[in-house]
Amino acid sequence: MNPATQPAARGDASIHAGAWAMWLAAVVAALAVGRNPIYLALILAWIAATWVAAKYVAGALDAERAVPLSPLHFGLFVVSVSALFNGLMVHVGDAVLVRLPDALPLIGGPVTLEALLYGALNGLALTGLYAAFILVNQALPVREMVRLAPRAYYSIAVVVSIAAAFVPTTLRQYRQIREAQAVRGQRVQGLRSWLPLLLPLLTGGLERALQLAEAMTARGFAGASTPTHDVWTQVSLIAGIALAAAGLLLRLVWGMSALGLATALVGAALVAGAVWAAGRRHPQTVYRPAPWRMREWAVAGGAVLTAAFFVLPLPGLDRSSLFFYPYPSLTPPGFSLWIGMSTWGLLPPALAMVGPALR
Amino acid sequence: MIHFRHVSYTYPNAARPALSDISLDLPEGELILVVGPSGAGKSTLLRCINGLAPHFSGGSLAGSIRVGNLDPVQAAPQVMSHHVGFVFQDPEAQFVMDRVEDEIAFALENAAIPPEEMRVRVEETLDLLDLTPLRDRALSTLSGGERQRVAIAAVLALRPEVLVLDEPTSQLDPKSAEDVLSALVRLNTDLGLTILVAEHRLERVLPYADKILYLPADGSSPLLDEPRAVLAQIDLAPPLVRLGKALGWEPLPLTIKEGLRHSRRRAGNGRAARPRQERGAERAAGARTPFLAARDVAAAYGGTEVLHGLSLDVYPGEIVALMGRNGSGKTTLLKCMVGLVRPVRGDIRMDGRSIAGRDVADICRQVAYLPQDPNSLLFAETVAEELAITLHNHGLMARRSGQALPDDTRELLHTLGMAQHAESYPRDLSAGERQRAALAAITVTRPRALLLDEPTRGLDYAAKRQLANLLKGWRAAGMAIMVVTHDVEMAAEIADRVALMSQGEVIAQGEPAQVLGASPLFAPQVAKLFPDSGWLTVEDALQTA
Repeated sequence: MNPATQPAARGDASIHAGAWAMWLAAVVAALAVGRNPIYLALILAWIAATWVAAKYVAGALDAERAVPLSPLHFGLFVVSVSALFNGLMVHVGDAVLVRLPDALPLIGGPVTLEALLYGALNGLALTGLYAAFILVNQALPVREMVRLAPRAYYSIAVVVSIAAAFVPTTLRQYRQIREAQAVRGQRVQGLRSWLPLLLPLLTGGLERALQLAEAMTARGFAGASTPTHDVWTQVSLIAGIALAAAGLLLRLVWGMSALGLATALVGAALVAGAVWAAGRRHPQTVYRPAPWRMREWAVAGGAVLTAAFFVLPLPGLDRSSLFFYPYPSLTPPGFSLWIGMSTWGLLPPALAMVGPALR
Repeated sequence: MIHFRHVSYTYPNAARPALSDISLDLPEGELILVVGPSGAGKSTLLRCINGLAPHFSGGSLAGSIRVGNLDPVQAAPQVMSHHVGFVFQDPEAQFVMDRVEDEIAFALENAAIPPEEMRVRVEETLDLLDLTPLRDRALSTLSGGERQRVAIAAVLALRPEVLVLDEPTSQLDPKSAEDVLSALVRLNTDLGLTILVAEHRLERVLPYADKILYLPADGSSPLLDEPRAVLAQIDLAPPLVRLGKALGWEPLPLTIKEGLRHSRRRAGNGRAARPRQERGAERAAGARTPFLAARDVAAAYGGTEVLHGLSLDVYPGEIVALMGRNGSGKTTLLKCMVGLVRPVRGDIRMDGRSIAGRDVADICRQVAYLPQDPNSLLFAETVAEELAITLHNHGLMARRSGQALPDDTRELLHTLGMAQHAESYPRDLSAGERQRAALAAITVTRPRALLLDEPTRGLDYAAKRQLANLLKGWRAAGMAIMVVTHDVEMAAEIADRVALMSQGEVIAQGEPAQVLGASPLFAPQVAKLFPDSGWLTVEDALQTA
């Protein structure tokens, strides 16, 4: 148990869940588009700045929520594994470091600096994604995350959030069980000795899940027992998704951009309408809805800005620097000042959390 | 308010009904204490009131139930949640959200209460249960009592007319339990809420109860009456009532204040109270080398030092009760003694030899340790197999291959009263039986010392009595026993010595009469009734009578 009281995050450094979601989407978009090391470094730096601001300045991270692996450890692991993997599997590039005997299947052939580097860049991008997700997960109270789900899927969201909350309890229980088995003279060696640890954990977990289900039933949470989506919302949901996908295909594969865009938009509208209609049939109200203030506008605006520069073919913008490609031989990455500056759009959350602390 | 007419209920796949032909009329606005031995159907009865049985648990229900003008079986729990609030045993197992306020609002959001009204209701509920200062806190940072109060608030927000609590304090320490109960009393007196509470430790609730509902184990019809009338007919009773019955006090006292009226009169003519027999003296004649000795032990847990240079001995053939507030380091001391936590300073000696550097398995062959939750120990298919596994772990028995247990192990099961359960699945047993199964699993190596962490949690009077007799038997056989407990009456009954801990230090130790009798917080009921007599248990008081 953590005896120290949590700093009350609400009211001073909190940011609306919707704004966080947009920030996250911008990070994902920017990291997904290209592998230019300069932009990658900038984006990672801003994520790190946000992390520092949230954890050390605003104290807004929920330390009780277990993180499977800290982003730093994750990064070390993923970057090295991904560099190694790419280096061993991709035998393209001019700067040959070593040459593995050709007799070896798959990994036989030259190991090049370019392949290693490209692998490492991929690892860095993954690390950025992981850090951003962990950050948002820890900065948002469970309730706020549940609210992000459309009303029709609220019960699913609640179930998911409970599943997430199960992780720390299970870890604590695991420690208890390990101690209990140790005092019975059990020494962990081999697969067989894991049984005494696993079985009580599983049965205990099931028992807890049942207890919670019972408690939620007693409090009137109906869960999956109200499948009131009627046929029309179901049909329009499926049709909407199909149209959106078809539109994207038309646009990207067959080059019919105008028709494709129109089809995709109609599809998206159908999906939105279906979700809204389904939500109307799930009465549910919101206690103290989080406010949408200046800082949320700033976060959302910044996210839109970053995503736009990375994703949209804006007129007059040279997007060639986005697509860094090290093969066949390394060249210095290109850099566009506009795109570089657009990554600042990821900074408002950090500023919003540092601001109240300075005052 | 609540009417049962010939209600019978059978769980799915159960051979016998859990409730059979129950007819009851529970009055409105009263605080009703539900008591009865384990397995009498208390939980089942409570679950019938909001429709959890049969809606959640399945099974078949016969007869009719009415709560106000609703039928819980027809209405189902979702509707009933607005009329009957239900609070469970373990506060941790009933939370959905992670903050106090969000948890209280959860049911309201779900019921689509308009936002303005929701604000008002949440504020009211926070006030009712004194939770306003905690409203923004994360649930994981709260104490057990605070959590249970949040759980009550979370169901009260729906403004039910009935509040049902299934052993709400069995997982709490006495101070937290007191907080929860006084909150209940306030809800009952201020709001006129009908409250049903199942509780093992009668002494906690008795002073406040308007009625007692007693469910007998044999399935005969339940008793519902004024506390005095019911207590006169049943065996379950706190020490105060047992003493009152034995000495024929009329009217039967329910509170210490009422009891003192009788005891003062009695103390007046029988002043020459013989002091409690000196169990310590017999022991002193025997061995004077401690079996377990902590010397100047300092230990850290999660980065903070929780024991600061503590020394404590446990001798063969004695029971030491270790008491103190939550977080005073009691459990850490036990873990140090079996090597689960290694001291940063000081030394622990077992039979004269330091345990530093010896592994846990090695130590535990001599020192058995029963953790707070016996469930974390049990995993095998049968109780007998649990014992075989421990023996095998210690290399005392070959790989398990369905071979029969050694005879002396059978005997151990017999001593523990578990012989008939040797082939049962441990997790299907009652709380008391499960604990004895766990005890069997750790003592099968014939250890010379036994450490127990909160062994009376969730046990009813009968199971507690069995445990006490067991420990006394082992003491007579020369075992060194230490019990961490909040249960004052248990400590008074079995302990030869009591050590009080606070903030990682032993602040007092000695004869129970001196340590417990003098403390306002830890004094057992009999000591409160006869101050300065040195009596602690009903037997002490009756011996002189």
